[in-house]
Amino acid sequence: MPSLIRLLAKRLGTSLIVLIGVSLLIFAIARVIPGDPARIALGPNATAEAIAALRDRLHLDQSFLTQYGYFLADLVRGDLGTSLYTNRPVTSDIAQFLPATLELVIIAGLMMVAFGLPLGILSARHRGTFIDHAIRMVTLLGVSAPGFVWAVILMLVFAYFLPLFPIAGRISDSFTIPPVSGFLLIDTLLAGNIRAFGNAAWHIVLPAFALALSGIGQAARLVRSNMVETYDKPYIEMAQSYGFAEKRIARRYAFRPSLIPSLTIIGLDFAAMLGNAFLVEAVFAWPGLSRYGVAVILRKDLNAIVGTVLIMSALFLIVNIVVDLLVSIINPRIRLSQRAS
Amino acid sequence: MSAPTLKIEDLKLAFKTHRGLIEVLHGISLHIRKGERVALVGESGSGKSVTARIVLGLLQQMKTARIAGKLEFEGRELDRLSRRDRHQLRGTKMSMIFQDPTSSLNPTYTIGVQFREVLDRAKPGISAADARLKAVEALADVSIHEPERVLDSYAFQLSGGMNQRVMIAMALANNPSLLLADEPGTALDVTVQAQTLRLMSTLAEKHHTAVLFISHNLGVVREFADRVYVIYQGNIVEQGPTGALFDNPRHPYTRALLAAVPRITGGGIPDIAETTDDFFAPLAAHAGFSEKELLA
Ligand SMILES: Nc1ncnc2c1ncn2[C@@H]1O[C@H](COP(=O)(O)OP(=O)(O)OP(=O)(O)O)[C@@H](O)[C@H]1O
Ligand SMILES: [Mg+2]
Repeated sequence: MPSLIRLLAKRLGTSLIVLIGVSLLIFAIARVIPGDPARIALGPNATAEAIAALRDRLHLDQSFLTQYGYFLADLVRGDLGTSLYTNRPVTSDIAQFLPATLELVIIAGLMMVAFGLPLGILSARHRGTFIDHAIRMVTLLGVSAPGFVWAVILMLVFAYFLPLFPIAGRISDSFTIPPVSGFLLIDTLLAGNIRAFGNAAWHIVLPAFALALSGIGQAARLVRSNMVETYDKPYIEMAQSYGFAEKRIARRYAFRPSLIPSLTIIGLDFAAMLGNAFLVEAVFAWPGLSRYGVAVILRKDLNAIVGTVLIMSALFLIVNIVVDLLVSIINPRIRLSQRAS
Repeated sequence: MSAPTLKIEDLKLAFKTHRGLIEVLHGISLHIRKGERVALVGESGSGKSVTARIVLGLLQQMKTARIAGKLEFEGRELDRLSRRDRHQLRGTKMSMIFQDPTSSLNPTYTIGVQFREVLDRAKPGISAADARLKAVEALADVSIHEPERVLDSYAFQLSGGMNQRVMIAMALANNPSLLLADEPGTALDVTVQAQTLRLMSTLAEKHHTAVLFISHNLGVVREFADRVYVIYQGNIVEQGPTGALFDNPRHPYTRALLAAVPRITGGGIPDIAETTDDFFAPLAAHAGFSEKELLA
């Protein structure tokens, strides 16, 4: 569909501009945090010459714009510099820690859709009844606390008092899985190790659910309210007058049109999980980008901070583009106006 | 004589609200013969739409609605039918046309997709190709010159008049015996409305479809109806053949109504603010046109 490609190109273009803005901003902020990165990196016993040498290597004594220029030149070559914390290229660090975070966020996002949408639909179809009230109560509970609070509660209840799930980590130590994609749920399957896959899945349930809970609540409530509103539209009565099955009306006449306004916000909620994952990861000792992110900020590891933030922003933008595409697929008005313009 | 297409006897309706029971229909009776075009006229809130919705069985699903009375469709008592059989009639034997055609179509599907859903009611599992052929034919019947383009369009891409034609084509596509037209096209421009109504009327005649024509507009009623029922606050107050009723209104309410309408423009129903006791006078039926006489 050429109109979709045009939309995609437009969004990618604006995203690039946003990313440049973000990089400038974070580049500046990272340099404003008090403390000399070279001194922190080399420790209290470093000689003045060593510090000066490192400052020189990092171009720290040059103007801000010159530094940014060096940074951009490296970035174009796919080089985010070296982390002073791990002494490895920032790109390798990110490649190591990002998959764990992505895996968590993607599973949580799937949970949000898999539980949130059906609950919302059920609630709307049975609006005003006991089912509706019950679902609204439960989902209100879901949105009433942030993910990390749920993480603590779920961990206490389902890992500590009732030891149904593991307390921490991505997989039990007894398994050694060669990393291919970095996603354990994929790599265990690639290794043909079903037991390891089960173990990894078992580990991800609680953290993903904790991360997903408020999203599930939000999605369910949003879908419900938009769908209930849609139930008052004339085309619902028209569908009923033609005797279409109740389920069909719910799905095609009430849910689908109501999804257009819901989807954008659900997408934002999903993107927000990238940020919320930080604290959930901390609670479950999940070896994701969050621990890395916190550590590098505390050490004023300039390259690593900028790299981490840039990757997160890029992911955020990608999610937004995907949502925009989905919306334009289900909303013919947008799709067609795209073609016209 | 064969059974009338629709017979309503002593239909009562009340809504349960937090302020108690509100009576909306106080026992109305009317009937429509095969192929007949019958108008139900009355001011806003008099109970026209609810009557049509009860015939279709839409109001019965509402928990707050209390309904009593007898409904017969082609000689079969509707309340005696199983839920399934009753549901089966909708969209096949009876269909409805609404006030605002554009907002009565689903904005997320093309006309073609919706047309197929309608055809699928009468012919479950109809193939996309067959449905398209039938839809093209039906659209050609309502004088749509580019049926293919219309089928691939969304309602918001078409004019109100075009959507109204689509609605008429859909409503008649399954050859229903009864068409309920609830102020069809009132949302449209007057000339467009008249054009599409003429189309609907001609087509209904061609399909031998009886029409219950609900309207605000006396001018329109005069042009399109064979017989008229006047409803006032949930009671039928006068009935008769269109010509006789317009020339010689007998019930005080009908008289007040006709007197208040600007004859030439034949516009909408005026709101008659003062209510006199005569408006509640018993039903005036023109000679030979009471329910009893007609159904004898
Ligand atoms: N769901 C409902 N709950 C309570 N009262 C209702 C409900 N639906 C309709 N009514 C009442 O029933 C009466 C008849 O409504 P109806 O829609 O049949 O009027 P109408 O004759 O079609 O008017 P209009 O010309 O404005 O369409 C009105 O007084 C309305 O307030
Ligand atoms: Mg009405």
